[in-house]
This record gives sequence, structure tokens and C-alpha cells, in this order.
Amino acid sequence: MSRQGTRLDQKKVNSELFTLTYGALVSQLMKDYENVDEVNKQLERMGYNIGIRLIEDFLARTGTGRCYDFRDTAEKIQSAFRLYLGISPQIMNWSSSGDEFSLQFDSNPLTEFVELPDHCLNLKYCNVLTGVLKGALEMVQMDIASCFVQDHLKGDPCTELRVKFIKRLEDAIPAGED
Amino acid sequence: MAVCIAVIGKENSPKYISCINPSMELHFQYKVHVSLDVVEEKLQAVSKPIADVTKEQYLGLLYSTEEHKIYGYVTNTKIKFIVVVDSSNTLLRDNEIRMMFRRLHSVYADIVCNPFFIPGEVISSKKFDKTVKSIMYGD
Repeated sequence: MSRQGTRLDQKKVNSELFTLTYGALVSQLMKDYENVDEVNKQLERMGYNIGIRLIEDFLARTGTGRCYDFRDTAEKIQSAFRLYLGISPQIMNWSSSGDEFSLQFDSNPLTEFVELPDHCLNLKYCNVLTGVLKGALEMVQMDIASCFVQDHLKGDPCTELRVKFIKRLEDAIPAGED
Repeated sequence: MAVCIAVIGKENSPKYISCINPSMELHFQYKVHVSLDVVEEKLQAVSKPIADVTKEQYLGLLYSTEEHKIYGYVTNTKIKFIVVVDSSNTLLRDNEIRMMFRRLHSVYADIVCNPFFIPGEVISSKKFDKTVKSIMYGD
């Protein structure tokens, strides 16, 4: 009809299907919880659960080894975005101490058709991504915090995800065995 | 280019109307309303030869008065788009009207894909409004 038929690659899922699925998920959460903060939390938790599994797949597929520093990690995160979402966010705004950077998204398949209604301007639509990063990095012994500082959906010129390194997690030793 | 653009739902309920001159809105609502009968008539005429699967969605000129011409377009989901243009505007060809409808249809498809939009509700999207305005002013 009006939309040009997108050719289907057999191995990949149609991006519109993906966008609509994620949209349906978020709007259903909005209906179920009726509270924007709660929805943000749920999205992050879902992302966390995705992340702790996805990292295994990422490591198996790419065969990457250890990161030497946080800059190295940032590049690997960038390549993961390319691998899984087909986008390459820019890495920028490093803090002087090198423990904090921003991922800037020019386009984001998650938000393609989305227009936030006025009553949920606090909604972090893509909050699942922060959860994914946290979950994935936690599995490789890194504790990070991330949040959206700019969001295209809220009228900012781009979407910016700030990632902050907190500490290295030592391999957990059961209490009383040191 | 156009003076008024309206979207009418499946059961002929108004979903969206926008015109260049807001004070004329009621007047246009009447016009659009009247044209729905013609749409219905045309649809019945079209639906007779059922074999024709690739149905034409563009209905062409619905009717014209001294000052306005009214064109219609129906999607396969029975959403109607109505465009009112000035009769004095002779530059507008059939082709341009078709283009307008095609753009309208594609922007409509986009807002339907918005997960926060409930199909069948009145359209209140700002993005849709902006695009429709740009179609009306003809760029």
C-alpha cells in the first residue's frame, strides 16, 4: 500500500515487527502499572535479565577477550549495538578521569514511530537498554550505572545515554571462606 | 494547496479535521459530512465487481461547488481521507491530489504504528498535525 514493501532477510527479524513488539510491551506496561516510575523500573529489570544472557551470546559470537581499560569496553559496547540493533552510536563526552562516557544515538529502531503522550513525559521509553548494559557488564565483573540524559522523544536533538563506571566486582567469594 | 483535510473513521465518525482558516472549521465539517454520502455511493458501485482485488483507493472528485472541490480516498480498512481544495485553484491536477493522498496515507500509517495510539480514537498526534499542515500548504 502506502508503505514500500521491505524485503525480508530470512535470518533477521523485520525491524518494524521489532519496533511494534517493543512498543506493545511498553504500552502494556503503562496500562498494567499506571505509574511511569514503576514502568521505568520494570523496563530496566527486563533489560537486566536480557543483558545477563545476551553477554554470553556476544562473547561466543565475537570471541572477544578481556578489556584493557574502560575505553576498550566502550568500543565493545558500540560493536554490540551494531551487532544486535544494527545501529552504531557515537562514543563521546569522555569525562577527564576516563570513567564516564556517552553513547549518542542518531537513529534508534526502538523509537521509530513513537510519540509520547503528554501524561507520560517522564517515561524512559528505551530504559531497557540501561538494564541490558548493566546486566551484561555485571557478568564480566563490572559495575556500571547508566541513564538517559537526552531523549529524542522528549524533544532533544538526539538521544544520549550516559554510562558511568563504578567499580570492578571481585569474583564473589562466599562469606567466611577467605 | 488544500483548504481542509479530514480523516473519517470506519463508522463515519470524524477522527481528525484541520483547515487553513480555523474559523471556517464548522463550515468545512458540514461539507465533509455531506461528501460522505457520495463516498458511500462510490464504494457500493466499486464493490460490485468483487473479482477486482486491487481496488482503487482513490475515489476522485466527490463533488464540486462554486468555491470548493472535494476529493476522497478510502483505505482498505475503510478509513476515509477527504481533501477540500479551492475551485479557483486550477493548477492542481489529478496527479497532485493523488500525491497528497498518498502522503496522507503514509503519515496515517506511521501514527497508527505509535504504540500509544489506540486505533479508532480521535487523532491528536502533533506529528500528524504538522505533516497535514505541510501537505495543506503544499510543500
